[in-house]
Amino acid sequence: MTGRTCQRLLLAVLLCFSCDGALAQAVVEGRVQLPQRHSAPVLNQRYEIVSKAGVLSISPPVGVVYVEGPFPGPTPPQTATMAQKDLAFQPSILAIQAGTRVEFPNLDDTYHNIFSYSPAKRFDLGRYRSDERPIPSVLFDTPGLVTLHCDIHEHMRALILVLNTPYFAMTDADGAFRLAGLPAGPRVLKAWIDSRTTLARPIELREGAVLHVDIP
Amino acid sequence: MLVVSGTTLLVLYFAGQRMVVNMERELQLEFQGALAGLDNAEEVRQAMIVERCRTLARRPRIHAALEEAPELLYPSARDELNDLMNAGEASAPSVQAVLRAEFYRFLGPDGRVIPGGNENAAGPLKASEEAQLDLPSLPKKQETGFLARIPSTGGEALREIVATPIISAETGEVSAALVLGIEPFQLGMRRDAGIQAGIWLDGRLNLPSVGAAERAALAREISSAIGRSPDGVSSSFRAAADGAQYLVFYRRLNPGSVFRPAYEVCVYPMLGLAARKRQLRWEVIGAGAALLLGAFGASHLLARRLSKPVEILAEESERAARFSADASHQLKTPVAVLRAGLEELLSHEHFTADECSEISELIHQTYRLSSLIGDLLLLSRMDAGRLNIDLQEVDLRLLLETCLDDLSALPDSAAVEIDVDLGADLTILGDKGYVAIILQNLLENARKYNRAGGRIRVSARKAGAGSVLVSIGNNGPAIPAGAQVHIFERFHRARIGEDVPGYGLGLNLARELARLHQGGLRLVASSGDWTEFEVSFRAPPPKAGEPSGEMRAGGRLGT
Repeated sequence: MTGRTCQRLLLAVLLCFSCDGALAQAVVEGRVQLPQRHSAPVLNQRYEIVSKAGVLSISPPVGVVYVEGPFPGPTPPQTATMAQKDLAFQPSILAIQAGTRVEFPNLDDTYHNIFSYSPAKRFDLGRYRSDERPIPSVLFDTPGLVTLHCDIHEHMRALILVLNTPYFAMTDADGAFRLAGLPAGPRVLKAWIDSRTTLARPIELREGAVLHVDIP
Repeated sequence: MLVVSGTTLLVLYFAGQRMVVNMERELQLEFQGALAGLDNAEEVRQAMIVERCRTLARRPRIHAALEEAPELLYPSARDELNDLMNAGEASAPSVQAVLRAEFYRFLGPDGRVIPGGNENAAGPLKASEEAQLDLPSLPKKQETGFLARIPSTGGEALREIVATPIISAETGEVSAALVLGIEPFQLGMRRDAGIQAGIWLDGRLNLPSVGAAERAALAREISSAIGRSPDGVSSSFRAAADGAQYLVFYRRLNPGSVFRPAYEVCVYPMLGLAARKRQLRWEVIGAGAALLLGAFGASHLLARRLSKPVEILAEESERAARFSADASHQLKTPVAVLRAGLEELLSHEHFTADECSEISELIHQTYRLSSLIGDLLLLSRMDAGRLNIDLQEVDLRLLLETCLDDLSALPDSAAVEIDVDLGADLTILGDKGYVAIILQNLLENARKYNRAGGRIRVSARKAGAGSVLVSIGNNGPAIPAGAQVHIFERFHRARIGEDVPGYGLGLNLARELARLHQGGLRLVASSGDWTEFEVSFRAPPPKAGEPSGEMRAGGRLGT
């Protein structure tokens, strides 16, 4: 047995205990039909926020698939990172579980001033540079979509999708997703596609079973 | 005589009229100049405001507030506009003070003011004032307008308002607008020439320097003028208000704006204009009168002289002598005075280019008058037998070369080509001054009557022992055979020369002078494209004898 296999085993055991005490986990996988890509892929494979007719989406298209909560039990302290690099947010979209603290390191040589007026979280970190310590961070405790702005660089935008579930995953560019280690039971599977579009599908998760769901 | 004086009067009358018209035009130009001067300064400020508003309309906080947090709109904007709102507190007038904003409001998607400005230090506005900012829809581009405020101190004050569309980053469309209220640019600023400036808005005239009653009357006049041509951007008209006459110029300040039209109005009291017109008219009349007086004097005296038989003139040599002196004084002095006066007039700075060129033309005419008087005096002195010719040896070659130099210095001399062929030993007996006049007259004729690109040929040679012949020929239309016998008559002008300046005295004078030199002048040929004159002079005797002394031409010439 190699060390790597050992690690995986350990991880699996840990997951077993953390996931609502369920001994066996369900898996759901499938494909979300993402909007047509509007432009040819650019060399810069970074995702960016695009807005059309009042809808914020990600380009090239990417979705967030999650199993709707709530799930009882304490939320372990988690951190995530939303960096500012090359006058852009990285990543462009960040999905987190409510209760996650997000750090905003400035990796540019210039000042940034991140703020949000979104009802889910209003904050203003003020101006700071890359040497700011501790790295400014915000605790996102309310589920919802948070739009990030930089007060200095008007073009900078990013989204933080705050979810009431620990079970979420980003799709790949083709819309394929896989969520593993899910507790059995009747649930609602949701796919966030853009700021106005979240599709929902009721699912029945069975222990040890792999459920295939295509949305829509 | 009557024709001449009538024409002169008519010309002067029209010149005067034109000057008056020009003056009104000049005033309008002055007004436009003042406006343009103001425009430049205003444009700079406008550009600063435009740029500032555009920057503001892009601020992420304002966008974020419009998108997600309407209640944070005015507080966010307050931070952004802080410098503009507090600019006036600087004691010295600064760039910021010029850009001082008094209030700002946002317009929502329906074009109406988003409430909350008064509570959030966006500059207090009364409900009625705020209502004036409402637009039927959001502006697509930056728009300028005016807002009439009613200060608590009474009266009314105008504020310039600039509406800048805010383009949503989400939709790419205009989602709101920022309206900034600023003090209008330097209103009531003193302008030159008594022009008073104000602003017309909604039938009311904001022109503090004019009394209330006149202002109301002017406002009515302007309103009806604007009403007649609502699309007119600028215009001018005369208005009578409260018994006083005004010249009114107005110009739309916000052409094409979605805000109510506002006009910049400049008012010029006609009192000043009338005075200036009167002054100008007197100047013109004065100049005209002097010119006429001179012309009358000249023509009167000359008519008397020329209409009398020469025999009587000869008998009245004493009177003739007095005539010369009189004529010299009576003709030359008024012309000189006239010219000096016109030159003085020209040196005044308040004439337009048109008027200056008119006056220059009058001055030019006085020179022509002088030369005409000179010719006539010379002729009448000859007629009176009082011309003293001092016959001395003159180097004709030198004199011809000088005359040709003078000729080529004339402005249009480039058009003709001059051939010169001078023989040897061209010494003649003559009076240098008068020989020069003969040669100048012939050469000038050769130039004047030449065709474009033509040729002048000047040749001189000794003919036998006693005389020197100079022939001057030129290209150009021939003198008709019937007219050839008359060309040496006084005041005769060939038909072909109708458009050429002159009085028909030149050839007559030249021949009389040549005869006084015991020579002559004749037309050698005039046919086809060639006309040639020949003047003969006496050569000095071969042996150096006593030079002929002063001689007096007696009686009729050509004896």
